[in-house]
Amino acid sequence: MKSYINSYELLCDAGDVKALMDAIYAKESAITVDKTYIEDATAGLGIMQYEDIYTLLKEVVSKVLKESNLEDFHNTLLILGSSVGGMQECEEIFYAQKSYENIDPNRYSMNALTDYLEKEFGFYDSRAISTACTSSANAFVLAKRLIEAGAYENILVVGADGLCKSTVLGFYALSVLSGDKCRPFDKNRDGMNVAEAVAAILIQNQKKENSIELKGVGASSDAYHMTNPNPDASGAISSMQDALKDANLNPSDVEYINAHGTATIANDRVEAKAVEEIFGIDAFVSSTKAITGHTLGAAGAVEAIVSCEAIKRSLIPPQANLTELENKNINVPLEPVKMRVKNVMSNSFAFGGNNTSLIFGECI
Amino acid sequence: MTLYIKNYSSYIDDGLDIKKELKQRYKIDTRRQDRFIHLAVYGAALLKQKCEISANDELYLTSGVGNIDIVQKTNTYMFEESEALKLFDFINLLGNTTSYYVAKTLGITGKNIFQISDNFTYINTLLSIYSSLRESKKDAIICTIDLISNPEQSIKRVLGVDEETKVVSSVNYQKLSLKKEGAIASIEFDIQSYSLDKLKEKIDMQKAFFSPRCSIKKDTDFFETIASYEVNRAIKERRDMVFVDCFEDRYKIIKSKNEKLY
Repeated sequence: MKSYINSYELLCDAGDVKALMDAIYAKESAITVDKTYIEDATAGLGIMQYEDIYTLLKEVVSKVLKESNLEDFHNTLLILGSSVGGMQECEEIFYAQKSYENIDPNRYSMNALTDYLEKEFGFYDSRAISTACTSSANAFVLAKRLIEAGAYENILVVGADGLCKSTVLGFYALSVLSGDKCRPFDKNRDGMNVAEAVAAILIQNQKKENSIELKGVGASSDAYHMTNPNPDASGAISSMQDALKDANLNPSDVEYINAHGTATIANDRVEAKAVEEIFGIDAFVSSTKAITGHTLGAAGAVEAIVSCEAIKRSLIPPQANLTELENKNINVPLEPVKMRVKNVMSNSFAFGGNNTSLIFGECI
Repeated sequence: MTLYIKNYSSYIDDGLDIKKELKQRYKIDTRRQDRFIHLAVYGAALLKQKCEISANDELYLTSGVGNIDIVQKTNTYMFEESEALKLFDFINLLGNTTSYYVAKTLGITGKNIFQISDNFTYINTLLSIYSSLRESKKDAIICTIDLISNPEQSIKRVLGVDEETKVVSSVNYQKLSLKKEGAIASIEFDIQSYSLDKLKEKIDMQKAFFSPRCSIKKDTDFFETIASYEVNRAIKERRDMVFVDCFEDRYKIIKSKNEKLY
């Protein structure tokens, strides 16, 4: 049983799908250089304007339902990937009242967002994946396997994370937060931008007009270090090779890699090494986090949509904010490349050496 | 759908000083970790001494509510006491931090997933594992974990149980496979859920074990992943079992069969 991406929508700092793709091709970063979030320091952040993340979730999921062939989600499994779940609202209440008294505990657990959507839309089953920055990418891994097993016909994958003090200050404490707009793969990059987004993708076992196939998934865990990838890139190489094997494709079949590309020193060096080893200069590679920032648990879902759009538009996203490429043995385009894009690999990597690679492809 | 259990470990809170036990008995470094991670690693250490773990095994951690304690702790630091966020508290906030320490303890480098659902937690994860193993042909380790936060009222509100319900911390492991060879038990499950009337037609209600959430029989203290504990208990007591989990008005069935009896 094959898995088809049949409808999707997102909202991030750059806007909806159309606005995001316009920004990506125009290389216009949506990152704000914020001077208020951290005391005595600037921080590049991907900030959205919205009432609360639950309203945002409802808006995005409603759009996907409207665009789908389903009347409701009663026969659909929900898999939501999030790194911090409902922590944003909890922080806001706690910050204002300095007390837990008025916080609904149901709204700060990791699966708070899942619970909300399940009640709002009546999903048949639901679950949350929380593996930090690979959360929603791992939701795709699970979705593909469940469809192959014939367990579900319709699965909605959602990636969602709102900006939280805990995450911004946490990455700041780790000294991986850039004070400016991030510069993936640049020799002088100085860190990442924390951002927020909600993205939803309907995966079905039936092919529709304009379907994109989820062809391959790969996941590995190198358990090398809590916050750093193995410098020999073995974890990243393993997940990328597993995805190729699962898709029954060779590296030469992949035209574009949407990189994890956070712009941290460690990630980009290791990811570039892995891409160099598997693809050399045969595939184009860029990181659209230069536009969106790092949307953490939502990143896998956001970048899955970018990957599908690159295939549909036959247009490879360029690398924004790049002045001098660090690893010259990979093929990073500075301008959009017009060409037939048959297959795209999307990488997501996370703390604890948790690596996930997805391959999306045109339906033949 | 059927999975075979090769081995298991279970721990239900009995007042043991787990951090001390990990350090003294298992010589495991407990620094930079919190109670949730200690509990998960303790269960891993118990499993490791009973069976062989392959580096390629897939690892699945699952929990009803995750690590509530650490969320409360970080917020208290940052906002109530105006302290900076401590680096390892931030890291411990993330679900796969626990997976990382468990993977380290077991020597696993395969796929590593932290999955949470506050309903049918164990069955949902078994389904994830079953569908993955069909393709990978590997074995998997499942860790089910629930930690009672302090105060208990918080976790009761998250679990949606009344104040009178007794809740308890527990960690349970199973080494799972699609292959029957060497199995000590099998578990049968599917995605189908039933109404109470349909359930009564499907099983012998008198003989079945129920999650305390079901309000049918309350034989034990509650935690969301109790199904895995009951499966392990049935294996230990060398008996077959039908377990019913529930959420709102839906019921799901797990059947465990002790392969050594047959």
